[in-house]
Amino acid sequence: MRKILTFFNWEIGKLFSSWRRTFTLFLLPAVFLVGMLNVFPLLINYMSTGTLTKKPVTVVNAPESFINYVNETTDARAFTYEYKSFDEFSELADDKNEYRKQLRKGMIICVFFSGEFDRSFDDEVRSYYEEVINENTEAYSRAQIYVAYDENSLTAYARAVQFNEGVLEKYQNTLIDTLGGEYAVIGSSLFETDKFNPVTKFEDYRTVANNQASRVVSGVLMIMMYYSTYSLVIDMFASERDRGFMDKLILTPVSRKKIYAGKILAINAIVTFSTLATMLLLFLSSWLNRNNDAMSLLPFGMLLTPGELAIVVFSIPITVLLMTAACISTVFALKNIQDITINLQLPLIYFLGDFFLQMFRGTRPTTLEYFIPVHNTLQLISESFMAQDKAWHVILVYMLNAGLAIAIFAYTFRKEESK
Amino acid sequence: MIQLTDVHKSYTKDHETIKGVSFEVHEGEIFGLLGPNGAGKTTLMQMIATLMKPTSGSILIDGLSADKNLLDIHRKIGFLTNEIKLDPMSTPNVLFDFFAKLYDIPKEELRDRRDESFARFGISPFANKRINELSTGMKQKISIAISLIHKPPVIIFDEPTNGLDILTSKQVTDYLKELRNQGHAIILSTHIFSVAEELCDDIAVLIDGSIVAQGSVEQLIAQAQVNTFEEAFFKIYVENHKE
Repeated sequence: MRKILTFFNWEIGKLFSSWRRTFTLFLLPAVFLVGMLNVFPLLINYMSTGTLTKKPVTVVNAPESFINYVNETTDARAFTYEYKSFDEFSELADDKNEYRKQLRKGMIICVFFSGEFDRSFDDEVRSYYEEVINENTEAYSRAQIYVAYDENSLTAYARAVQFNEGVLEKYQNTLIDTLGGEYAVIGSSLFETDKFNPVTKFEDYRTVANNQASRVVSGVLMIMMYYSTYSLVIDMFASERDRGFMDKLILTPVSRKKIYAGKILAINAIVTFSTLATMLLLFLSSWLNRNNDAMSLLPFGMLLTPGELAIVVFSIPITVLLMTAACISTVFALKNIQDITINLQLPLIYFLGDFFLQMFRGTRPTTLEYFIPVHNTLQLISESFMAQDKAWHVILVYMLNAGLAIAIFAYTFRKEESK
Repeated sequence: MIQLTDVHKSYTKDHETIKGVSFEVHEGEIFGLLGPNGAGKTTLMQMIATLMKPTSGSILIDGLSADKNLLDIHRKIGFLTNEIKLDPMSTPNVLFDFFAKLYDIPKEELRDRRDESFARFGISPFANKRINELSTGMKQKISIAISLIHKPPVIIFDEPTNGLDILTSKQVTDYLKELRNQGHAIILSTHIFSVAEELCDDIAVLIDGSIVAQGSVEQLIAQAQVNTFEEAFFKIYVENHKE
């Protein structure tokens, strides 16, 4: 065990012997991936609207209640607003070409209309509640809110949906309190937990954020794990063998098994640490994403319970072990370092494909998928974010991946020693 | 110290790289393997160093066989080839400490060994520089220092002076002579006549995987009935090269 630790310390020491090596392996991929995830929405925005900037929501004939709501509510600040009167809006709408152009660029228009031009939206809502209080069973409000956007633009559609769900619906729910008068006291709840309890507030966000995270984070972690593993296997096994340095190590009075075990342990520790650093950056990225952009791949509020976190954390070293086994068997099967590098880079295409499939798939994984090594980790992480993890999935994935890794190691090293 | 008996090695079924090689190397002797490129020198050296298994035949190091006493043999041999490149980001000091740990050299002994070894090869001024900042000659010297850190009784050098400048070559050959005088058994492979002529007590000429002639420089010259060692080698080569 002492000799294994000597090799472990040697490999870790090598990594920290140069800040460039440390940065390249630990932080660069993580920063790159997090950067990509944040740039992706900008690209989508650019592809759909031709501009990198986000258009403010044009609010026409905004009632006082809406302006107050926007100023007082955090959710509503995810959007910026440009207020216009009916007259100002008419000028824009009359120029059909300019109007269409603005819509194509992602403009979202929200029009408040009371049913009559000389009556305010707030007055119409207030009078509706008064009639309700007076037990008018046929009370009817003509107040309406229109949301207009270019339905061909994915960005505009997504932002409009988010604006509707995240701002308008919540605003409408507050009207009963702000304009409902006596009815508000009688008919509505006086205590809203969401306003007072940060935990329940956070849970609200978590549902949305974790749903998205289950699509994105699992794939990102898999790519990160494989990238780091194959880089280290090339450095610690293929390059050392190519340089002849591996022979020097083998000729010391330490068995090959101990040399390899020290190196494998070092790879596992480094990749696990580096993947956890990536995960931490993803969490930070999510928590700092306060504006909750409609196209954001990491919405605000990503969170795991300790149990879910443990499942994800433990799945990392087990999967890395399997990836290491596969990479090492490739190194020992091939002689030329260029061939090794190309062969080890190919699976990155698979992981990239798996990432996109996971991001866009609309169905839950089939049972068979939990029997596919490595891919099953992606599903396990994904279901942990969705709080749908099952004990037998966890056991199956851990056992299958660890068992396969040990089998590959045993076969590869036996074959290598017989040469 | 080194005993090879009818050693064969085949990489493929229809071609034998080493064909029944046998020889012995004793304490205080430098044994040279001389042959053209592709003769099988490196394969033979790697088999003696236990990096490769022979297809048949036996190799004993100080009476030990690699099949049963692999790690004990590793304590007895020092292997060096000019092909070995050290970790470019490490320093000689770090490498020396690392290999000292692998050979279980006590800490109190480590400093003396390092001082002695570094002083001999002039490594001390570069002890804390990264390997990639050093010259080829200096790298080779560090490699020798590390290979012999455990003071092995058997030393295996595969083309030890290849690619080195004249001064470093001289340092290496002088060191080999010193090691021989200290009683080490040394086997070296080379295709440089002057190195073989100057250093080796016994030379085996390896052509196409077989030893076709063996003896001291004088014996080989006499056997070939020529005037110089170089002429002797070429005559032996022409008479025995078939492929």
